[in-house]
Formats: sequence, structure tokens, C-alpha cells
Amino acid sequence: MQREDKHFEMTLDAVLTRLNDLKLAVHAMIQKLEMEYETINWPTFLDNFALISSHLTGLTKILAKEQCPPLRNRTVLPLLVSMDRDETLVNITEGRVPVFSHDIVPDYLRTRPDPITEQKMQQNEQKAANLTNDAAMKQVTQYNKVVSHVLDMVTKAREEWEIESSARIQQTSSISDTHLLVAALGMGKGLKMTMPMGGMPPMAGPGQMMVPPSIRAPSPMGGPGLSPGNVQQLGKAPSAVKTNIKSANQVHPFSR
Amino acid sequence: MSTVASARESLSHALQNRFLPNLEFLLQGSILDSAVEHLMHRLKGLCDNVDTSPETFHDLEVCMSLRQPNQNAPLTLRVRRALDRDAPFQMRYLGQPEVDQRKPTLVRSCMDCACTNGILEFLTEMGFRLDFEYIAKGFMFRKGRMKITVSKLIKIIPGKQQDNDPISQSYIVELSVVAPNGQESVGEEMRVFADQLKPLVQLEKIDYKRLP
Amino acid sequence: MGVTVLQPYPLPDGKSGAHIIDLLGKRLLSLGATHAGQFLVDCETFISTPQHGAPTRAVHVLHNSEYPASTFSMIDNGTGKQVSLVADNIFDLLMLKMTATFTSKKQTKIESRGARFEYGDFVIKLGSVTMMEHFKGILIEIEYRPCVMLSYCWEMIREMLQGFLGINVAKEYPSYFTTQTIINAMGQQQVHPKQNDIYEPMDTVKQYLEHFTNYRKHVQMHTAMGGTGGGGVGGPVVMGMQPSSVGGAGMGRA
Repeated sequence: MQREDKHFEMTLDAVLTRLNDLKLAVHAMIQKLEMEYETINWPTFLDNFALISSHLTGLTKILAKEQCPPLRNRTVLPLLVSMDRDETLVNITEGRVPVFSHDIVPDYLRTRPDPITEQKMQQNEQKAANLTNDAAMKQVTQYNKVVSHVLDMVTKAREEWEIESSARIQQTSSISDTHLLVAALGMGKGLKMTMPMGGMPPMAGPGQMMVPPSIRAPSPMGGPGLSPGNVQQLGKAPSAVKTNIKSANQVHPFSR
Repeated sequence: MSTVASARESLSHALQNRFLPNLEFLLQGSILDSAVEHLMHRLKGLCDNVDTSPETFHDLEVCMSLRQPNQNAPLTLRVRRALDRDAPFQMRYLGQPEVDQRKPTLVRSCMDCACTNGILEFLTEMGFRLDFEYIAKGFMFRKGRMKITVSKLIKIIPGKQQDNDPISQSYIVELSVVAPNGQESVGEEMRVFADQLKPLVQLEKIDYKRLP
Repeated sequence: MGVTVLQPYPLPDGKSGAHIIDLLGKRLLSLGATHAGQFLVDCETFISTPQHGAPTRAVHVLHNSEYPASTFSMIDNGTGKQVSLVADNIFDLLMLKMTATFTSKKQTKIESRGARFEYGDFVIKLGSVTMMEHFKGILIEIEYRPCVMLSYCWEMIREMLQGFLGINVAKEYPSYFTTQTIINAMGQQQVHPKQNDIYEPMDTVKQYLEHFTNYRKHVQMHTAMGGTGGGGVGGPVVMGMQPSSVGGAGMGRA
């Protein structure tokens, strides 16, 4: 419980600093507009906007993350509403709100909806009041019918899609195949069996078995610039390409 | 007059300054033959080489190993040769996979080396023996520095060049990046991309040594 | 890429290698050649650890600064068969994975390095060969770039060599090109004259290996006789210490 409170406080602090930053930025912007409206140019103006918007994003990030116990679960109640001037309030709001009265509460604590929303609500309420009971019932049943029909359609489509997609998930990949292939790549599992390699004497030269015939196909591999001297013969005599430097061999210090 | 740096010097310089790509980050999965078209469509939409894609390849990979004294595991080198075009042979060394639970991908050391066509004979003379071989045929896509391959593994049956057997009814799908040391962040990038291929393919880090 | 011929330069008694190289460099410059950077060809040999019944195999790994992205290697399987390979630089790291089987013979690490000159269609490299910091001799590399077959341009290369080296170069093709054997389809060894083949970078490297092997062999002979390779660490040493046969052997082959 205590930890939660601490967390909550920390979040509030963070929000507060962000708000202060935002306030300062807006303040600076207004000041600029008032003082330097003749010299200010677009880039600086836009820079200011960017600054404000970045502060806003920072703020929304903190609020959206809600690492703390969600803020919206908290209730704020006006405990004391009075018509008298409150000096502390004047102080902390920098002279903007002198009185915490009934007039102000709905706006500052959002106990009333937006004016536009309020207007719409009123219109709807008026409409509803003018309707007769019978007509209302009729409309309700009609509406219910339409909604249930749409719901039917959606559930049906969803069922179909689920069957299809679950079937497809099973079809697209198989874990056993994955394991088979990975083992083949890694260790040659399932690839070694057919090669008659077991009986190969360890000292046998590069016979046709050692180096598979397909790898020695007579295609001219390697650029002419960087291939060893035996490229030309490769096609004719695959297993017999042996370049031997006699002179080097005779004087070779390491032979035997 | 500055003297020429030796090749060994410049190589260790590249290693120390971390611009020699020597780590492979890898995710693997598979897709059934029947769904491969679907995957190709998705990859075409997601990847960079839209106008040229899909790039095809048809390679023969030969895995050669050398038993070394006083060492448990043999040294294994893979040599790849393109069957459909004229390109240098590619030799590849792959280290032991490191499966760290915290890392999003499998990580292993990796060295790629282009070679002339004498490489197989060269390795044989060094004492390497053929371990196994297969043909990989399929498609390659790119997304940034990530490489995505969708390939069919085909077993080679001696004496039968034409009708070789695919070893499974699925294509193997691999998502990989080869990067220098110290660029571990690429793993996260790969994870995000792999998620975009779900549920068609489940790309995972799989240690082949621990498979049943 | 053209045709390259490697020519050892005999060292007169009492002259230091650095002195000769200096002299040759000046001669090239006064001919009108331009100095165009440095070059380095190095060679490290790995020997297989002895195993039952298997002959010792040697893997020579060479680098040529003219092809900085490539590693050249030759394996000698101990029974006279050699296989060559050109690969990416990273091959060096792969060799290190095999240290249990192939160990580097560090004391035979050998290299040729020096200045690189361009003279019209020719590239000339004056290399001083050192093994373990000990000066071994001078190898001159000459490349004629517009041509890829030795038989068409050998005379020109020879003329050029005689011109600035001031020594007589035999009329015959260098031995590397005439003594190559291949094994034909019947499994028999056959002498295969290489002067009509298309020249490849590997051929340059093979020539270097041939000469490096000669230099190494001389060291072995000397240590066997209780002799010494010669003194100063960290730079070319005075040539008087060197047996004159080093240059002589090379010349006889040309």
C-alpha cells in the first residue's frame, strides 16, 4: 500500500514537472509573440511550436503509461466551495483564480461536460421528451432487431474466420519439420545415410566419393584473375588436377 | 614513406576495431510446401528488394570436418558452391551456438571466406573428410541488413543427379544477420521482423544439438 | 594484371644489401621510373603434427600487398602433390582454428619488402628478403602489365632486366615456367610448359614461395654445419656474412 502511494506521488511529481515545462514553453511563446512580433520569423516560431508539442507528447506518454495505479480510478472531490477570496489560491495560481466558487468548479474539475457536448445532450433529451411512448417502443424494437441482425452476421463471419485461420495455422508450418530441417542443416541428420563413407580409408586421396562429382562439374568457376593455375584442365580431368612444382619440391625443406 | 602493413596486422586491426563481421545472429523455422506461396507474398511485401525479388539461389553445400588431436569436437567447415551461376566458392566456419535465454536470437561465431575452386581438394589434402552434403534451393530476401532465406533442402543420392529427394515436405526459413562484435541490438530488430511473419512461420532460436 | 618474373640479384662480396637496393633504386629513378609506394610479400608455413602413417603436410600461407584482400596458400601433402588456393583474408583466421593439427613454424617466417617503381608498362619491385629479421638476399620482381602470356613478352622483360640490373639474364624462360609438371588424365606426370598459359596472381606467389624455400633451405644447411645466419637485429646486415652461393644458386636457374 505504501509503495503504491509512493509510486503515485512519483507519477504526480513527474506530471507536475512536465506541466510546468509546458507552461513555461507556452509562456515563452506568448511573450515572444507579444514582444517580438515584428522580428520573429517562421523557423523560430515553428521551433517554439515543436517545443510545446514535444512537452505535450512527454506528458501524454506519462499519462498513457500509467505505471502508477491508474489515475482515472482516483476521484477528486471539491470539499469546500466558498464565495470568499482565498489568498493561497491566488498565490498558487499566479493570480488567475481568486475564488474557488460554484461558478468555477464545473470548469476546473470537469464536473460538467464540454459546452458543445452539453448542447447536444440537451437536444437529444428534448427529442426524447417529445416522443410518445408507443412510438418509442416501436423504434426500440426495430433498433434491437437491426442490431441483433448485425450481431448475427458478425458472429457468423467470425466463426468462419476462426475455423479457417486455425486450420491454416496448422497447415503452414510444422514443428517436427522444423526440427528435422534444422538438424539436417546443423549435423547432416538424414543426409549422411546414403553416402558410403564409412568404409573409406582415412588416407584415400580425393576420389570421386570424397569430393562429390556435382561440385566438380566442368563449369568455369572463379574469375580468370584469381583462380589457381589448373582451371583449364579442370573440365577434362576432374580428379586428376595436380599441379606439381618439381623444383620447389626438390628443395623443399620439410619433406620427410 | 609509409611501410605496408602486413595482412595479419590489418586483420587483427579489423578484429580489434570491430568492423570484421564475425557473429551470426540466427532464427529458424519452416513452412509447409502448401503455404510457401503465402509466405512469399508476405515477404515480398515486407522486404527491401521488392523490384528484383525474389532472388533465387541453387547451391550445393559440402560439409567437411577435421578431427584434431586433443579436441573433442571435429573442426567443421562448410563449402558452398552456386550451381546456377558463376561465383567463387564460399567457405564458412560456424562456431558453437550460444543459446542465451536473455538474447532474442541464437548467436554463434561465423567466418565467411570466398575461395577459388581448389578449396575442396585443398581441404582434403589437409586431412578434412566429407561429413555430409546437400543441395539448397530457394529464395533470398533482404530487409536492411537482415537476410531471409526460404529454401528446400535436397538430399543427394549418389549416381542419381536428376531426381534428388527433398528431405521434407517443408521449406526451411532462416532469418540471419552477420555483424561485428558488439552489435547485439540487431537481435531485437530480428525479433520484431520474425513477429511479422507469425502465424505463418514460427521463427525461433533452435539449438540443433539439443533436438530430440 | 600482367606477367611477372622474379629474379634474385647476386650480391657482390663486401657490399651490404641496403647499399645495393639503394643503388638499384637510384638507377631506376635516373632511367625515368617513378617511385610508387611500398610492397610486401610474406610467407608463413604451417606443419602438420605427425600422425601415424601420414606424411607430414605443409601449408604455406602467403600474402601479396598487390592483392591486399587475398590470402594465397599452397598445401604440400608430403608425397609431391601440391594444391593451391586463393581465398579472402579471413582464411588466416581459419588457419588459427587448426592449431591442433597445423602449427606455424614461426622461425621460418619470411618476407620480401621494399620499394615499388613504375616505369611505363613495367612495375619493378626491389625486395630485400628477411627471415626473422635477418637479411637473406635481394629479390627483384618485374611485371609487364599489358600482356598475360610470358612467351609474348619475355624478351622485353629480359631486355629491361639486363638494362637496369647490368647483369646477364639467360635467354631461356625462367625455370618456374618450364619445369611445371601436371598430372594428366591418365595419372602420369607430364612437363607442362607454362609460358603459353594465361598468367595468374597465383603464379607470382608460387615464384616467391620457390625462392623463399631456397633461402630457408640455406639456413637449414648452415645451422646443420654449426654456422650462423648473421648478426644485427632490426635491419639488413652486411652482406659479407652471407654465403655467396645464395645469389649464385638463384642466378644459375635464371
